[in-house]
Amino acid sequence: MCGIVGYTGYRSAAPILIEGLKRLEYRGYDSYGIATLASEISIHKKAGRVSDLADSAHILMGNIGIGHTRWATHGIPSDINAHPHQDCTNQIAVVHNGIIENYAHLKRELIGRGHTFKSETDTEVIAHLIEEAYQGDLLDAVRKILPRLVGSYAILVISTGDTRLIAARNQSPLVLGIGDGEIFAASDITPILEHTSRVIYLDDGDIAELAPDSYTVYFGDHPAEREICEITWAPETVQKGGFTHYMLKEIFEQPDVIYQAIHAVSEETLPLSLRQASSITVVACGSSYHAGMIFRYLIEPACGIPVRLELGSEYKYSPVPFSDVVVGISQSGETADTLAAIRKGVCNNIKTVAITNVLNSSITRSAHDTILMHAGPEISVAASKSFIAQLGVLMQIVNILSGRRCDEVLHHARYAIEQALLTDLTEAVDLCSTAEHLFYVGRGVFYPVMMEGALKMKEISYIHAEAYAAGEIKHGPFALLSSETPVIAICTPGPTYDVMLGNLKEIKARGTPIIAIGYDDDHDVRDIADVLIPISRGHPWIHVLTATVILQLLAYHTANRLGREIDMPRNLAKSVTVE
Amino acid sequence: MTLQAVILAAGEGTRLRPLTQNRPKALIPIANRPIIEHTIISLLEAGIRDIIVVVGYRKEQVMRHLTHLDLPIKIVHQPEQLGTAHALLCARDQIAGDAIVLPGDNYIDKDSIQGIVQVRNALLYTTHRQPSNFGVVTIDGDQITSITEKPSHANRMTVSCGVYHLGSELLDRMRHMSMSEAIDAEIRSGTRITAVKAHSWQDAIYPWDLLSMNEHLLSCISPVRSGSISSSVVLHGVVSIGKGTKIGPGTVINGPVIIGEDCTIGPHVVIEAGTSIGPRVRIEPFSVIRRSIIMADVVIASHSALSGSVIGEGCTLGEYTAALYSRGYIPLEDGAIQAACGVIMGNGVFCRPSILFENTIVGNEVTIEGRSNLRFSCIRIPDKTMVM
Repeated sequence: MCGIVGYTGYRSAAPILIEGLKRLEYRGYDSYGIATLASEISIHKKAGRVSDLADSAHILMGNIGIGHTRWATHGIPSDINAHPHQDCTNQIAVVHNGIIENYAHLKRELIGRGHTFKSETDTEVIAHLIEEAYQGDLLDAVRKILPRLVGSYAILVISTGDTRLIAARNQSPLVLGIGDGEIFAASDITPILEHTSRVIYLDDGDIAELAPDSYTVYFGDHPAEREICEITWAPETVQKGGFTHYMLKEIFEQPDVIYQAIHAVSEETLPLSLRQASSITVVACGSSYHAGMIFRYLIEPACGIPVRLELGSEYKYSPVPFSDVVVGISQSGETADTLAAIRKGVCNNIKTVAITNVLNSSITRSAHDTILMHAGPEISVAASKSFIAQLGVLMQIVNILSGRRCDEVLHHARYAIEQALLTDLTEAVDLCSTAEHLFYVGRGVFYPVMMEGALKMKEISYIHAEAYAAGEIKHGPFALLSSETPVIAICTPGPTYDVMLGNLKEIKARGTPIIAIGYDDDHDVRDIADVLIPISRGHPWIHVLTATVILQLLAYHTANRLGREIDMPRNLAKSVTVE
Repeated sequence: MTLQAVILAAGEGTRLRPLTQNRPKALIPIANRPIIEHTIISLLEAGIRDIIVVVGYRKEQVMRHLTHLDLPIKIVHQPEQLGTAHALLCARDQIAGDAIVLPGDNYIDKDSIQGIVQVRNALLYTTHRQPSNFGVVTIDGDQITSITEKPSHANRMTVSCGVYHLGSELLDRMRHMSMSEAIDAEIRSGTRITAVKAHSWQDAIYPWDLLSMNEHLLSCISPVRSGSISSSVVLHGVVSIGKGTKIGPGTVINGPVIIGEDCTIGPHVVIEAGTSIGPRVRIEPFSVIRRSIIMADVVIASHSALSGSVIGEGCTLGEYTAALYSRGYIPLEDGAIQAACGVIMGNGVFCRPSILFENTIVGNEVTIEGRSNLRFSCIRIPDKTMVM
């Protein structure tokens, strides 16, 4: 997982590249580098964050350049392993996002032919291969060596003596931005948006030749037509606008997001494969997996359609799926494991549906049908609004399949979330921020809600948080409970209420502090709980949404109290494009 | 040096409760735009683009709203609501030279702003029928001689609009709790503050004042017809209909009326002048709405009649709900206030069919269940009450 950016045009390239890399920082931030081409290639690369260190890079000369912000896969984060990488003669510079799987083999071969390697990265082989193939035409050289690479890549190449920027993509995202007298290339549209709204999404196998006032996309040896898309996201939507973190901004965008998501699917646009399905397999990773699990709890009783739920990374070890349709859920649409599952479905002649936030992402091109969730760009690494959007889409699917029984409920969702945003969590944050371990318990559909809450807490506050189905507590985790391990539970009237209350009493008897999410005037819960987080009355679906929002806010405020890097938690990246 | 504008939007507006329980006063929608947005538009029209907004109470909501506007607005946080002068102090290091200071929760038109831009160290004033709710100013010639904030007995009708044009040296000295106190102290120590008469200015002290503010601002809207409108709909006057809104057959709308996006109205609904209807509202057949503010996500079932009312976000009103505009005293914890409205309803109220309201305030998330034909007159129902 890395971010790349390229520029060719009339302006000085270095400041544009640096700004672009700052926007891509969510994709990786352990080291960065840029290369610009004037008469010679000049390079600035460093271990660390581009936003902390890049001031000295602005002086690099040239109107054409490439940049990279790295998330280490091969070789430790260091100045030397940072991209761009060069060949032996320093005539060529390459940035690369993805993994070259056969790099060890290629490297041995190249060393055997007398090349010297400076770094431990897989990327450097590309530079040396191009060096060998270069005979005066950079485009030709890149085209010749690409068949030798096995794996995923989006690469940008510049070379002295050539005024073009060459871009190529295979299984890693790459977007071109078409400006006036300037062309941009980047891993996603966020760095491009402030300069132009016209973009081209490259396909796997595409090579693009970029000059300030012209571009040509080749597929293999032949020029290919690629549609220019007009992007309607305003650049402001990817800025913080006074919020201390993107995550808080995104949490507060959720009322609008749920409304958009619910209206993203209608009876007319629901894919036929889903409408006719008698069984469904859902494949997803991380937060999306929790959304899938909530979907299973909702659709099975409402429609009697059995749902098989699989983690993307484990699905490849399962035999051919037996259900009618495979649904892949991925915010970015680039999650490698979910993508592989969709492709496996397609190979096995099973209908596939992708639920994603990014139009033209890889998953939309692999799946038969796509449902876009319209959450807008999500910058924070921890998913918040995209999770709510997934729930909105999935709830609407259940609503449609069950004969539109919940139209009124969904109409109320927007307002309910708006109210949940106002919840005062000070006392709960006091308790959580001093704990080393937290347990989240829930029953029924609230079990996955709690799993998502625990994941958020782990991700951004670094507190060890585990979610258990309340009934499972007695099968082991009970041994871990003490007065030092607060338990967060949800207990709202419904089929799970009495049992849940019983479980909480048992937990309380061990002296464990309890943070309960329940009705404000519910004295049974209030008596047991040390802290009661009030949730407004409503349908269980509404409780799923509002409890999710409350748990997001709890994680956010706890992390904020502890002074964590909320938008870019350590060791994590936004979308996981490797297995 | 270009003139900067500082909008103070950190306050709550307690006298507008229940409407300000969940949002600051600056975000109350009037003619389908939060009050602060009207102020920002006036500033832009007057040629001031460098805008700083001080946020505090429910600041996330304000910031979220401002990010929707396509403007480079600077945000400053006021951690505690210690008064308007303190709010200005929080923004002090963002101000380079002179600045216009405005409240985020009043409406000020562009002509008034252009008037005060001309005069350095000035205060905008106007006349008001109930001056004791404001800072009362005494004027000698074109100079202010004193300001008294909310006096128990006002001997002048001239009040401060809370809009100032201050030089940088004066900005440094604004350290009192409220702007009025700070300016008053300056006057007493000899600083000359010029009085500039406002052209058009609107403030809402109590919820029913919002209705006249709404009526006033609706006179400035321009006609828009983006929704799908049945051919048998009758439209008079200036009517603005947002995109995605469906207006059913037989509906009559007498402008000025503004209707937001994605609403469903009708068939056979009557909407009278002075009404604002927010986004995603549903109004079912045979209902009549007169001179009211209906906020986002409200559902009004069939055969309802509302006049002179403010309905908060996400309310659901059952069939045959009636709100009759009338005057009277509403008892509060400390005394009573004179009110003139149908019903003022907070957010998320649920109300079963056949309920009659007269001159009533209903708190947030109140549920009115139980028998039909309940009649509420001249009372205030507190937040989260269950009426069985």
